[in-house]
Amino acid sequence: MNFYQKKLKVVWKRLYSNQQQVDTAISIRNYIETNSDTDLKLDYLSKTQLVSKFHLIRLFKKYYGLTPHQYLIDVRIENAKSLLAGGKTVTETCFEVGFESLGSFSTLFKRKTGKTPVQFQKSNFREVQIQ
Amino acid sequence: MKVTLISIPVLDQEKALQFYTKKLGFIKKLDTPLGGGNRWLTLVSKDAQDGPELLLEPAPLHFEPSKVYQDALMEAGIPYTQFDVDDVQHEYDRLIDLGVEFSVKPTEMGTVKVAVFNDTCGNNIQLVEKL
Repeated sequence: MNFYQKKLKVVWKRLYSNQQQVDTAISIRNYIETNSDTDLKLDYLSKTQLVSKFHLIRLFKKYYGLTPHQYLIDVRIENAKSLLAGGKTVTETCFEVGFESLGSFSTLFKRKTGKTPVQFQKSNFREVQIQ
Repeated sequence: MKVTLISIPVLDQEKALQFYTKKLGFIKKLDTPLGGGNRWLTLVSKDAQDGPELLLEPAPLHFEPSKVYQDALMEAGIPYTQFDVDDVQHEYDRLIDLGVEFSVKPTEMGTVKVAVFNDTCGNNIQLVEKL
């Protein structure tokens, strides 16, 4: 066993040996990924997993490095990028990925990508024409 | 400031070009002669062609400390860098069929799955899948 393989074992034992916690964190991520376009709430997960919402948030952050809400925003912005590049309007994109207000969509999009949705769409104009 | 380039030290640029394009599936982007048989050789991911470029640089041939560092990482089995994939097991099976050697088989590490292979140009490279 080389040095790196030994280190992987150490890290696994130190951070990931609680399989139940790991599974819970993964199920939260799957839930967010599949429901990112809806008005999703952690209450549902909290009920099915029989743990408090606050515990779920802490758990998710521990394993993924950001809160479920921050992760949800990242997923929606990624989805928005491909919809915009595919020729959807900013308004269509905003509601399709799950945001409820155009203002907060534009602000978040700019904060995450450095461009407003309109600027992003213009820089992907070639792809828009192909559609 | 923007991150547009990630460099990987390689022992043989032509061999690296073949391995990274034919086996890993990267696409050549820039290939400029720099004299003395050296090239400014960059690749992009097929899935993100406007993303960061990988620079295959011949540093270990010309700068002894780079060679020493590369050899030490290789010896310890430590990956020089890592690439994201959707399915580590699928990539592992595909690359094994192409004769690529792995030092770490697909292994779950909590919320990610990793595997490590030899790029035949002096480096270990890690594949990562988010679970």
